[in-house]
Amino acid sequence: MSFLPQAIVDALLLGGIYTLMVIGLSVSLGITRVINFVHGEAIMLGAYAAYWGLTLLKIDPLLALPIVALLGAVIGFLVFKGLIAPVLDAPQENQILLTFGLGLVLQNIALILWTGNERSSNPPYAFSSFDFDTVSIPGGRLIAVCAAIIMVVALFIWLKYGEWGRASRALAENRDAAILMGINVPFLYAFTFGLASALAAATGVICSFIFAITPFMGFDMLVKGFAIIILGGLGSIVGSVAGAFLLAFAETTVAYYVPSGNGWAEAVAFVVMFITLIIRPRGIVGQVTGQ
Amino acid sequence: MATQLIRGGSILLALAFVGLTLISYPSINDLAFRVAMLIIVATSWNIMANAGLVSLGHSAFWGVGAYVGLLTANTGMPLGVSITFGFLAGGLLGILLAIATARLRGFFFAICTLGLSEGLRVVALMLPNITGGAVGLFLAQEARPPLKLIFLLGSIGAILAVAIAIVLSRLPFHYACRAMRNQERAAQMLGVDPRIYRARVMALAGALAGAAGSLNAMYGGYIDPSIAFTLRVTIESQIAPILGGLYTIAGPVLGSGVIVLLAEWTRLAFGANEGLSQLIFGGILVFAILFMPLGIVGVWTKARARRRRDSSMVRGGDPPDAKPRRAGA
Repeated sequence: MSFLPQAIVDALLLGGIYTLMVIGLSVSLGITRVINFVHGEAIMLGAYAAYWGLTLLKIDPLLALPIVALLGAVIGFLVFKGLIAPVLDAPQENQILLTFGLGLVLQNIALILWTGNERSSNPPYAFSSFDFDTVSIPGGRLIAVCAAIIMVVALFIWLKYGEWGRASRALAENRDAAILMGINVPFLYAFTFGLASALAAATGVICSFIFAITPFMGFDMLVKGFAIIILGGLGSIVGSVAGAFLLAFAETTVAYYVPSGNGWAEAVAFVVMFITLIIRPRGIVGQVTGQ
Repeated sequence: MATQLIRGGSILLALAFVGLTLISYPSINDLAFRVAMLIIVATSWNIMANAGLVSLGHSAFWGVGAYVGLLTANTGMPLGVSITFGFLAGGLLGILLAIATARLRGFFFAICTLGLSEGLRVVALMLPNITGGAVGLFLAQEARPPLKLIFLLGSIGAILAVAIAIVLSRLPFHYACRAMRNQERAAQMLGVDPRIYRARVMALAGALAGAAGSLNAMYGGYIDPSIAFTLRVTIESQIAPILGGLYTIAGPVLGSGVIVLLAEWTRLAFGANEGLSQLIFGGILVFAILFMPLGIVGVWTKARARRRRDSSMVRGGDPPDAKPRRAGA
């Protein structure tokens, strides 16, 4: 097939974008064990922040990225302290419903403030592309993949060597032992949640020049993100990255080689999720089972 | 005494709810029909929640019921048959989902239901030969049932759903479900096979939501993938029981009334922007989970228990202010 190289490139780029979407989710699920339905909304708000930064203040999205991420971290920290911490020990159902409700609130605030119109931040590099013989690489997506690589590597270094990173791994492994070791668990929970929100906001900034920005963009990404998490295994960052690329390859294959595959590709995530849950609920490398 | 009053009142209310469909006042009929539909799906959601199965995909049952109902009606079948088919389709989907999710609980289960409804939306979009795809599906003009009949069936359906919930709550089935919610493994030890109970619960819940979806589609006369599998149903069917009172019978009913009236009020007061009512629903969800996890029913029973305690104190000899109370007691 003549478009095989292009298909592979597309899948790799899509995998990078999915990695971005899922990495923050993986952190918050893996360490705080909070089922976070607000994550998609954090992505959405990050995208709007980038859009307004470019439209009103003429700040390039990539320059705005650190600021937006920092804002996301602060807001995430506060949201966790104020709203999520009280249900941390409540049944899982309460967390699901609480964060679902919170997502609904944010989504509709965005809808009321900024209408449902599709927007896009259009920095010059959004439409650039690198063309080779048989392959064309869109610039915007390439940036997304680079950002994904940087974030994943930074996250790994932090988890491996950082003081709080090590503490958060300990927390994920055994909460009671972490408390006994003198780790400030309530703070660390909120901090990790803030970190996840920062990653989400940064993802939003990058998505602002790749996808259309709407109040509902986050929810669609979230559903896909959960599918990837389940495929990769709950609580494993390596698994999430692997899941992101697996899904990207599956979707691209369907899009290229199945008749009217572009539409069907949207359903691939759900099929993959169901198959994973039936055959191997713990995912590719997860430690947590379906119980 | 109070219980009998409540019982009598509810029967009167149910009769009034059916009687309401006999008067012809379109906006009231429409409102009552929406309440009735929400009562059915909220009760269905609550039946599943009672067994520890949090659904984020009730629109899957609803949407499948809607498609099956409309397609059946367009072949010339009478209303009763298309609703029955919607009922059966929803039930079948429930059983299939129960089989597929046999081992899953909590988050995994919830995300599966969400994935199912999103996935079905894509399928409906991609099979235009059957579903009409993005263009949608119209109810044939000659298949259109009289509105009065739809309203009547809606009210009766809502009452039937509540009646089913009442009957269920008296059966051992109910306690088995509750045991599953609290500790599935322990329930298993006691001889409750979770897989069978799960299949039954989800068949019933799916069938109720499917029937409601098909009736609603007959009322609207048109569906497309995003209308049939709308997230709205998923959201409202979970907010109504939580606001009213989780795991209770009156909860979904109360919650449904409040939710529909609230949606109507925001529509009248602030125009057709759906964002605001959804915003309020989200706020209610957050507030209810944080501050009144037992809902309106919970607040009511707590108040009643307090009143009873106070009055028994008065009757019990000591006048309440015989001893100076300690501050803060």
